[in-house]
Amino acid sequence: MTSVISISGLVKSFGTARALDGLDLDVAAGEVHGFLGPNGSGKSTTIRVLLGLLRADAGSVRLFDGDPWRDAVGLHRRLAYVPGDVTLWPGMSGGEAIDLLGRLQGGLDPARRAELLERFELDPRKKARTYSKGNRQKVALVAALASDAELFVLDEPTSGLDPLKEAAFQEEVRALRAQGRTVLLSSHILAEAENLCDRVSIIRRGRTVQSGSLTELRHLTRTAMTVETARPVPGLAELPGVHGLRSDAGRMRFDVDTDALDAVVGCLAGAGVRSLTSTPPTLEELFLRHYGDAEAEGAGPAAGAGGVPAPAARS
Amino acid sequence: MSGGPSVAGTGTLIRAALRRDRWRLPLWIAGGAALVATQSVSSQALYDSPQDLAAYEASVGSNAASIALAGPPVGLDTVAGAVAFEISSFVILVAALMAMFTTGRHTRGDEEAGRTELLRATRVGRHAPLLAAVAVSALACAAMVPAVAAAGVGTGLPAGGSFLLGASVGAGALVFTGITAVVAQVTASARAVYGMVGGALGIAFVLRAVGDVEGSWVSWTSPIGWAQATHPWSDDRWSPILLCLLVTVGLLAAAGALLDRRDLGSGLLAARPGRASAPPSLASSLGLAVRLHRGALLGWAVALGLLGLVYGGLAGSVETLFADNPEARAFLPDSGSLVDAYLATTLSINALLAGAYAVSAVLRARAEESVGRAEPVLATATSRAAWLAGHGVVALAGASLVLLVAGAAIGAVRAVDTGDGGEFSRLLSASTAYLPAVWVLAGAAVALFGLLPRSASALAWGAVAYVAVVTMFAASLDWPGWVDDASPLAWTPLAPVEEWSAGALAGLTALAGLLLAAGVTGFRRRDLVPG
Ligand SMILES: Nc1ncnc2c1ncn2[C@@H]1O[C@H](COP(=O)(O)OP(=O)(O)OP(=O)(O)O)[C@@H](O)[C@H]1O
Ligand SMILES: [Mg+2]
Repeated sequence: MTSVISISGLVKSFGTARALDGLDLDVAAGEVHGFLGPNGSGKSTTIRVLLGLLRADAGSVRLFDGDPWRDAVGLHRRLAYVPGDVTLWPGMSGGEAIDLLGRLQGGLDPARRAELLERFELDPRKKARTYSKGNRQKVALVAALASDAELFVLDEPTSGLDPLKEAAFQEEVRALRAQGRTVLLSSHILAEAENLCDRVSIIRRGRTVQSGSLTELRHLTRTAMTVETARPVPGLAELPGVHGLRSDAGRMRFDVDTDALDAVVGCLAGAGVRSLTSTPPTLEELFLRHYGDAEAEGAGPAAGAGGVPAPAARS
Repeated sequence: MSGGPSVAGTGTLIRAALRRDRWRLPLWIAGGAALVATQSVSSQALYDSPQDLAAYEASVGSNAASIALAGPPVGLDTVAGAVAFEISSFVILVAALMAMFTTGRHTRGDEEAGRTELLRATRVGRHAPLLAAVAVSALACAAMVPAVAAAGVGTGLPAGGSFLLGASVGAGALVFTGITAVVAQVTASARAVYGMVGGALGIAFVLRAVGDVEGSWVSWTSPIGWAQATHPWSDDRWSPILLCLLVTVGLLAAAGALLDRRDLGSGLLAARPGRASAPPSLASSLGLAVRLHRGALLGWAVALGLLGLVYGGLAGSVETLFADNPEARAFLPDSGSLVDAYLATTLSINALLAGAYAVSAVLRARAEESVGRAEPVLATATSRAAWLAGHGVVALAGASLVLLVAGAAIGAVRAVDTGDGGEFSRLLSASTAYLPAVWVLAGAAVALFGLLPRSASALAWGAVAYVAVVTMFAASLDWPGWVDDASPLAWTPLAPVEEWSAGALAGLTALAGLLLAAGVTGFRRRDLVPG
């Protein structure tokens, strides 16, 4: 598959502070790519370099096989951008801002524009000065989604949206993917990334720490299991890939490396299983592993099993 | 403004505001004091003998043009009185602008940027931001008093009058603190606040000009008139200061009451709904720039047109100007008829104002960049050069328009007054001689924007102030030649007195072109820099 975005070893400093420190990012054509990382990790900075708004200090950045710094205008015709922090012209109405940005980008589809305004319940006649954060974000979203871009660069596009609009947004992204468009979606909202993304890249302090499909990434963490059996299971604790076994009144809880699952299930089979719950790792755990400091590195799966109730609800 | 929880946090806000303004306010104050010191040195050099002073009093004291620009013609029998006459209106203008910007920035400016909302969500009381803004502005006005007094005493003027002049400047500016506090409650955008208070300042200036020329009560309708009614170094009246203080207190009470009647973020004037879709003109970076600049440009054009009418009307009374005082003529070009000399001076003042407009328009691009509105536009198929060109074209064309409107207004009045229709085209074409100097100022602002974005605003306004000071004082002070030469107006033929010189004008135009190119190149090579 061809790459729409390929960044490697990207470095960007502001004065003495290194915002990006050898970042890699690869986005294939037609995929929805999640771009995750804590506050200040460099997501918006990466996107600005990608748009030619900032100049890279080192590393290579390719966008549609062009150089975003030198060929900015030509490349921008093929993409639409929603900034993380949307500021509009206070005296201009939302509808005017949408038309302006759409026309500058190369024109937008009036029918789509009307449909999106309805969908996001945005009043285009209001002056931007009176818009809430969510409404300013909707202006940028409508302008982007009504365009005919190949690539959509969305920097935390839903941070101000209410749950209904968030759901509408997710549907729009799925529709884009169905049409074969590419989406780079930076986000803090894990559920959103889990719902939408084919692949994710997790960055921290200006570096990529994980990248891959959700299935691939799940391999890197452990599944949490709770089992009740009729008879004790000798040797379970010694099985490779089983961690943190605790038992209490015939109930065992432990974490299993994803590639040891088969062996564990085989071992349990002869012991008369009465109940078994298994919760696959979520992005949340990946997040906690990579966001938390070095100490979380060793305790990663345990933290996931003990501290995060979300997965059971979703599996 | 009642005490208690509604003003909780005021002290913290005052400290934060003083920190934010720690460079700005000292510059304004030092600028005001420097004007007084420079005028004092210059006047003492010009009128060093009783004869010179008597000639000065006789000519200037009865001349409508200089009274309209300066103030009431009192105390002209002493050099100190002459200093007060010549400079007080300018220093009061500077101090009033300081008060307007300081009060506006910390009230409506912060509210528009959303900072007030953030603060009010903490334990900051409802009245605290307004009170803090007013307190900071009032402190700055108070600081003008010792600064101006020191400038007077330091250059050898009597202490009592120096102190009274300082107090007049501070008190006049204080009234504009109050006016800004009220206007900031009424309108929802900081830009509109500056526009309306700036308009009020202009009206106050014209009212006092009319009153002073006629010697009538009209001066007493203007806060600038009150501040000048103290007559430092002659009558030494303190009561007008009291009037200023009382009016300020009334204005602040009104601002507090208005604040109670409105919601955070809104004004008292309701925002009208806008259009549901953009007009066809809003489809390019130039269209966007025209849209963003049109209100301010219209305001400047109207203001300079009116100023041109006033200047033109005063030209007739100039015949007697400086007739007996050859040294005072150093202020004016020394050839040609006196009327033409006067007209050349007014045209260069127009050029200065047009240059100020050009700089403000170019800096609008920087404001767009620093609040993040340039980013979504530059992420579309709009090149950096095209985006900057939008603002640059409006700045250059707008400044040219403003200059020519003022020149046309002067010419029209002269044509009517003299019955010679040729005056109109003569003065309009004389005005064109000043265009290249205005373009150089615009070019300098573009170059600063491209190369030094963070300090562009301070440096570009510094350049305007420099050209203004050099134009005002160069002829009367013994500065080294390069100080004068660094101003583009120094290379401009002073039409209609001096001949239109193609060489100098082509040189200035080429310089403007180079500066523009440097700015565009710099902008294309640098990062986008937030505020
Ligand atoms: N123009 C700038 N000048 C100086 N430092 C900057 C600039 N832009 C970003 N930074 C710094 O670079 C780092 C990365 O910032 P960036 O905005 O890319 O983070 P982010 O991942 O988008 O964070 P968030 O999730 O909060 O949006 C931060 O430490 C930030 O303070
Ligand atoms: Mg960000």
